[in-house]
Amino acid sequence: MLKQIFKYTILSVIFIFAICSCTKDVDFDQIDDFEIFPVLESSLVHLNEPASRFYIDGYEVAVIQDSVSIDVFNNQFAIDNLIKAELVLEMTNSINRGLDVQVDFFDAANQLRHTFSVSVEPSPNNEEIVSQHTEVFEGNSLIALKQTTKLVLTLRTRSGSPINENTPGRIGLKSKGVFYLKIDNSI
Amino acid sequence: MRKAIWLFLCITGFTFSQNKQVLYGFSEIPQALMLNPGGEVKNNWYFGIPLLSHIHTSVGISGSTVYDVFADDGVDFNTKLRNAIYSMRSNDFFSANQQLEIFSGGFAYGTSYNKNKYISFGMYQEFDFITYFPKDYAILAYEGNQNNINRRFNAGHASASAEVISVLHVGYNKKVNRAFSFGVRGKIYSNILNIATTKNKGYFVTEYGENNFYNHIFNLDLELRTSGLSSLTDDDADSDAVARALKKRALFGGDLGLGFDIGFSHKLSKQWTVDGSLLDIGFISHSKDVENYKIAGSYAFEGANPIFPETGSGQTAEEYWNEIEDEFEALFNVDTTAKKYITWRPIKMNASLNYAFGEKRSEECNCLKEDVGYLNAVGVQLYAINRPKQPQMALTAYYYRRLFKGLRAKATYTIDSYSFNNVGLGLSVHIGAVNFYLMADNFIQYKNIYDAQSVSLQLGFNYIFNKNED
Repeated sequence: MLKQIFKYTILSVIFIFAICSCTKDVDFDQIDDFEIFPVLESSLVHLNEPASRFYIDGYEVAVIQDSVSIDVFNNQFAIDNLIKAELVLEMTNSINRGLDVQVDFFDAANQLRHTFSVSVEPSPNNEEIVSQHTEVFEGNSLIALKQTTKLVLTLRTRSGSPINENTPGRIGLKSKGVFYLKIDNSI
Repeated sequence: MRKAIWLFLCITGFTFSQNKQVLYGFSEIPQALMLNPGGEVKNNWYFGIPLLSHIHTSVGISGSTVYDVFADDGVDFNTKLRNAIYSMRSNDFFSANQQLEIFSGGFAYGTSYNKNKYISFGMYQEFDFITYFPKDYAILAYEGNQNNINRRFNAGHASASAEVISVLHVGYNKKVNRAFSFGVRGKIYSNILNIATTKNKGYFVTEYGENNFYNHIFNLDLELRTSGLSSLTDDDADSDAVARALKKRALFGGDLGLGFDIGFSHKLSKQWTVDGSLLDIGFISHSKDVENYKIAGSYAFEGANPIFPETGSGQTAEEYWNEIEDEFEALFNVDTTAKKYITWRPIKMNASLNYAFGEKRSEECNCLKEDVGYLNAVGVQLYAINRPKQPQMALTAYYYRRLFKGLRAKATYTIDSYSFNNVGLGLSVHIGAVNFYLMADNFIQYKNIYDAQSVSLQLGFNYIFNKNED
């Protein structure tokens, strides 16, 4: 009996040694190096309107303005992870009047933090004229963007031949945001 | 909390295998009867040492291993991560399975000269987890959508389930004649915890738009079902209350289910045997502590038209903005319901063809010993398990050998979802009435455990009174 126990003990030990695993070096602290750089693009605002939209109740309207409350830029995720942003505006004009689009960025205290504008030339023969602008947000302008809670868009017609309900041509605007993110192990 | 669970399920991509290819057909070990209730029974009666009679754990990962990502090899971690993300497929998975027998026993009965019936019974606890690699979610998180215009990100890539149950079972085995035996085992399942998100559908795609640069289309039908979770995560559930609740459920005070196993074994000739089994044909009905989360809806977003929003509809700018906000809120709003549901247990199938050879000769008289059978056996075994996305299969070739009177060994070679070089080894030691068994697989991969695609281990102690023992 003792001999048997001894024999099996030896065998068990050999067996356990056999299954006891070896490991090669791994370093789980490498998770601290984790960082990824996704780039998101999103449509923002758009419009496509005939010239007659600037003719309201018998009068020509030179300035159209709208404001947008926006909390995408100043939420915590964006503040922590947004490292660069671009706003791309593309204007298409076939009205025989020059147009300016101005974008103003206001913070919670209603202070203007950033502004830029895009212009497009008049189109005398009503062919489409395209004008593109990319506004890049880095450094100080990125900080301004992250404090923005309100955007004001202003559309202005430049002086020229008067507009009425029969004026030909259209004004188009497309825009997108390009958001460069850096997500690392700190979240 | 909900978000954290959701995120966890999305990020992890894991499951454990349940194949016990070394134990299957190892008829000296009473627990082999759990893999085929109709298998050969070699003992008169036995009982398992409580809590130690069967301890099983296994972990498996298909695709990249821990070593692929965390090797201390000077390669930038993010490069290794990137390689892992791009090399894995949405059908790659991580799985884990663990079983602990609480108690078990069995006895033969029948006429005194022919005890051809056998009852076995017991209770065990099981944990099972599988998660698939959510490839499209990972790519979207890793790259963003900029380089993936027109790519449909499949929301169905999120698929995972986890369950903890306890099982009470009674099995009946009958040796009909010298050649044929069959068996059946009834099971009562008691749910301790169930979390599953396996039927997700839908997609997210960014297309070039008509009115704006892009049209973003969300089409989502996602659901996470939980049973037994919400009462544990209640704010007023302290650790004592949680412990009490878990104990109650483990002892069949929670949601219950029913199931059965069937199996047979048939001697084709003196040396050839074929056998097979179907395990865990059953379900659990979840109704007592159910909380399901659902996100469903579709929305296409081309951006906002802020300056002339009232076009054609007479609505004000503010109403227009609110509408966009409402659409997004409706899309991502998580509906919480307590609708009861049924989960099916993962059905497992085993089959094998065996050939025994090498009769034992007596040392004293150089004659054949009566009724001791063969010393060696070889065979092939097939295993399959039904999983949320597709069945997983394994094919095993084995060699079995009786080494001494009280020592049996079995070596296996298995091809499965994880690898093509899985070598397993098992020993069953019988000293007097005490039985100890230990088996493990993937020996080749133990050279570097972190590089292993799967590992499993079973061990246990029994007290066995054998038929042929004096």
